[in-house]
Amino acid sequence: MRINPYNNVKYQWAVYVVFFIFLACIPTIVGDDVFLLNQLSTYGVYGILALSLSLCWGFGGILNLGQGIAFGLGSYGMAMTMQLQSQDILEDRIPPFMLNNAVETLPAIWEPFWNAGAGISLALIVPTLFCLIFGGLMFWGRVSGPFFAIMTLAMLSAFYTIFIDLQYLTNGVNGITPPMALEVGPYLVDPYSSVSFWVVFVALLLCTVVAKLITQSKFGLIVQAQKNDPERTRFLGYNVALYETIIYAFSGFIAAIAGCCFAMLTQYVSPGQFDVGFSISMVIWVAIGGRASLLWGMLGAFMVQGAQSYLGDQFLSTWLLILGFFFILVVRFLPGGLAGLVEVILGYFSSNSSGTKGSNSEPKRVD
Amino acid sequence: MAGMLELKNLNKNFDAVHVINDFSLEVFENSLCCLVGPNGAGKTTTLDLITGRQAPSSGKIILNGVDITGKAEQAICRLGIGRKFQIPAIFRELSVEQNLAVAHSIEINPIKNIFSFSSKNYKTKMDEIADKVGLSHRLPEMAGNLSHGEIQWLEIGMLLMQDAPLLLLDEPVAGMTEGEVSKTVDILNELKKIKTLIVVEHDMGFVRRIADVVTVMHMGSLLAKGSIEQIEKNQEVRNVYLGTEDE
Amino acid sequence: MLASIVNPLILGISIGSILLISALGLAVIYGAAGVINMAHGEFIMLGAYSTYTLQSTMGMPFLLCIPCAFFIVGIIGFVIERNLICYLYNRPLDTLLATWGVSLVLMQSSRLIFGSDVKYIAMPEFLSTNLELGILNFSTFRLFLIAVALILLFITWFIFYRTRLGIKIRAVTQNKEMAASFGINAAQVYSITFAFGAGLAGAAGAMFGALSIVLPTMGMHYVVEAFLMVVTGGGSILGTVFASTLAGEIQSIFAFIFNDTMARGLLFILIVVLLRFRPQGLLSTGSGRR
Repeated sequence: MRINPYNNVKYQWAVYVVFFIFLACIPTIVGDDVFLLNQLSTYGVYGILALSLSLCWGFGGILNLGQGIAFGLGSYGMAMTMQLQSQDILEDRIPPFMLNNAVETLPAIWEPFWNAGAGISLALIVPTLFCLIFGGLMFWGRVSGPFFAIMTLAMLSAFYTIFIDLQYLTNGVNGITPPMALEVGPYLVDPYSSVSFWVVFVALLLCTVVAKLITQSKFGLIVQAQKNDPERTRFLGYNVALYETIIYAFSGFIAAIAGCCFAMLTQYVSPGQFDVGFSISMVIWVAIGGRASLLWGMLGAFMVQGAQSYLGDQFLSTWLLILGFFFILVVRFLPGGLAGLVEVILGYFSSNSSGTKGSNSEPKRVD
Repeated sequence: MAGMLELKNLNKNFDAVHVINDFSLEVFENSLCCLVGPNGAGKTTTLDLITGRQAPSSGKIILNGVDITGKAEQAICRLGIGRKFQIPAIFRELSVEQNLAVAHSIEINPIKNIFSFSSKNYKTKMDEIADKVGLSHRLPEMAGNLSHGEIQWLEIGMLLMQDAPLLLLDEPVAGMTEGEVSKTVDILNELKKIKTLIVVEHDMGFVRRIADVVTVMHMGSLLAKGSIEQIEKNQEVRNVYLGTEDE
Repeated sequence: MLASIVNPLILGISIGSILLISALGLAVIYGAAGVINMAHGEFIMLGAYSTYTLQSTMGMPFLLCIPCAFFIVGIIGFVIERNLICYLYNRPLDTLLATWGVSLVLMQSSRLIFGSDVKYIAMPEFLSTNLELGILNFSTFRLFLIAVALILLFITWFIFYRTRLGIKIRAVTQNKEMAASFGINAAQVYSITFAFGAGLAGAAGAMFGALSIVLPTMGMHYVVEAFLMVVTGGGSILGTVFASTLAGEIQSIFAFIFNDTMARGLLFILIVVLLRFRPQGLLSTGSGRR
C-alpha cells in the first residue's frame, strides 16, 4: 500500500517552509511601493482569518458563520487602544466622536485601554472569552452542525446591531478612526512601512506553526475523531463538548489576532467587521481553497481577495455574482476545494509511479 | 460476593411504552454474560441505560459498589465501561492506527493532550492489540476502507486500547462470514480471561460457543437465567424465543 | 395606563405574526425535507421584487400580487431544488453552504437587474389607515399581517393534513425508504415541498416589501430571525408558530422596557440559553439515533 505524498507530514512542513520563505521575499520584490505593501499586509490578515476558520471548520468540523465576531472584537479593542494613545490621560481624555455625542466622562469600559499592553491583551482575551462562554453553552447543550452554524450567524447579527446602537461607545456606523499609528514603547508601527508587514508576517507565521502543531497532537487527533463520530468519542471517555469549546475558542483567539493586525494596518474599524457578508467571504475563501487544509485556506483567501481588488470596484457586483456561482460549484462538485483537487492529482501520480493499483486509498470527502 | 455490575429493578418508559420492566441483573467479574431475546426485548436499551446514553425511569445501576445511575456517558466510561455499538462506530476518516491511538484514552485532559505528540508510551500496547484482533498489517489503512469484519474487530481493538475492565458488545458478529465468526469466538474466549463481558446476541450457535451465563430477556423483563444447557432446556424460553429456530 | 400595557401586547402579536410569516416557509422546507435553506431570505427578497415589478409595469393590485409572488418564487425554488439541492440531501452542512451560495447569486443578480436603490410597493388605501378602538390604536396593515399569517398557516395545515400530497409529504418525512416502497416518488415530493416553502417566502416578501422597503439585501434581515424561530420551535411547524408568538411578545415587552436593539439582543441571548437546556427546541421530544 502506498501513501499519497499529500498526506506525508514531512512534505507538508516543507511546503509551509517554502510558502513562508516566499512571503518573506515580498518586501524586497515590492520595494518602495508602501501602498501595495500595506495592501499585501492586509491579505496577510485575511490569511490569518482563513487559518482560524479552517482550523475550526475544516479540521474540527465546527462550521462557524460568525468568525467576524472574534475578528471584530479584536479590531475594536486595538482601535480603542490606538485612539487613546493619541489622547492625553489628564488633559484630553475624551475622543472627539464622544464629544460629538455629548459624552462628558470617558465610559468606564474605555479606561483599561489607556495602557497599550492592557488594551491589546483585552483585545485578545475578550473575544476568546466570548467564544469559551458561547461555545460552552452551545456544545454542552449538544447543539452541533448546521444548528451551531445558524446560532453563530444569529450572534453575529446581534453584535452588528448592538455595535451600531451603542453610538456613544463605538461611534455607531462611522466606526473609530484613530488618528495616529500604533506605538509600541518608543517605536511607531507605521502601517505604510515594512515594519507593519513584518508584524503581520510574524503573526501569520506563529499562528500557522501553532495551529499545525495542534493538528498533529493527540488533542488534534481527538478533535478529528469527534468530527467523525462524536458519540463514539464520548464513549471512549472524552468530554467532546470540552474539546469542541477549546478548538472553537482557539480559533476565535487567532481571529482576534487578525482583528488586532487589521486595526493596526487600516487605522479604522467599523461595524462592517461584524457584517454578515464579510463572514460569508471568509467561508468562501476557505471552501474554495480547501477546508481541510490550513495552507490552502490561506491561499484561498489570497486568491479571492486578490482577484476582487484586481478587478476593482466597478466590476464588484459582477465579480460577487461569479464568486457565488463558483462557490456553489465547489460545494457541489469539489467539497475538498482546490486542495482536494491537488490531493487527487498527487495521489494519481504517486500510484502510477509506484505501479501499485487498487490499494491506494481514495481521497476522502471531507465535511 | 457482590457482582461487578448490578442492575436493580430498572424501568424505562418511552411515553406510555414500557421498554424495560423491572429488570435486574448481576454480572460477576471475569465472566461472559450473554444477553439474548427476541427483537424488541430491550437488550440494546439495557446497554443504553448502563452506559448513560439514556437515563432509566427508575431503578439503580451499580458498578463496583458505586452508583452510576444517570451519569454522563464519558463519566461512566471513565469508571471502566467500554461499549461496542450495534452498527459499528469507528472513525472512518482516520487510519486504523489513529483509531487505536484515539481509543487510548488514559489521558483525557485536552490541555495535556495539546502537548502530546508521540505515541511511544503506548506503541507496544497498540501493536499487541492490533495483533490480537488481526489488524497488524492494516495499521496505515483508512478505517473506512476496511471490510465489515475488520471494522468489527477494530472496534473491539479500540475497546481494548481503552482498557475498560467491563466490555459491552452489541451484536459483535452481525453480518460476519462463518470464518470471521470463528475468529471472533477465539478473540472473545481469549478476552474473558482478563475482562468481564456482556454480549448482546441473536445467534444461539454463537452464544453456545462463548457464554458462561445466558440471560434471556422478553418484553423488557428477565425471562430466564442460567448456563446455556439450562436455557436450552427451559420450556418458557423455547416458547418465546427458541421455539421456531431450535435445530 | 391600561393602553400602555395592552398596546405592547398587541404589538407583540404583530411582531410574532411577522416572524411567523417569514419563518413558515423555512419551517416547511426544514421540517419536511430537512434542508437548511440559507437562501430563504433571498426568496423573500424575490417575492418583494416580483410584487414591485408586477405593480409598476402592469399596475396589478396589491392583493393580487401576493398569490402571484407565491407562484413566481415557488417556480424559482422548484428550479433551484431540481438543479442543485436534490444532489445534496445527505450532506446537511453542504446544503447549508450551497444555499448560501444561491443566496449570494440571487442577491447580486437582483442588484444587477434592479439596481441598489430603494424601491417601494404601494399599498391599497384601506390598509394604510390607523384603527382606533377606544384606548387602543393600531395600523390596519398590522392587522392585515396577522390575518395573512393565519391564512398562510391554514393553507399549510390544509395541504399537510387534508390532501393526498400532505399524506405523501408526511410519509416521506417519517421514513423515506418505506414511503418509496409504497410507490411514493420521494424526489418529487421533496421538490414540491421545497417549491411550496419558497412560495411561502415569496408571499412573505410581497408583504414585507409593503411593510418597509425593497432592497437587494433585505433578505438577510429576515432570514436570521426566521431561522431562530424554526430552531427554537424544534423544527416543526407547530413549534415555529409557538416560538414566533412567544418571541414576538418577549421582544415587544423588552422593547417597551429598553429599546428595539436591546430587545433583539436580549432575545438572542435568551434563545442561546434556552438551547443550552433544551437543544431539541421548545416543542420536540428527545431525539433517537443509531
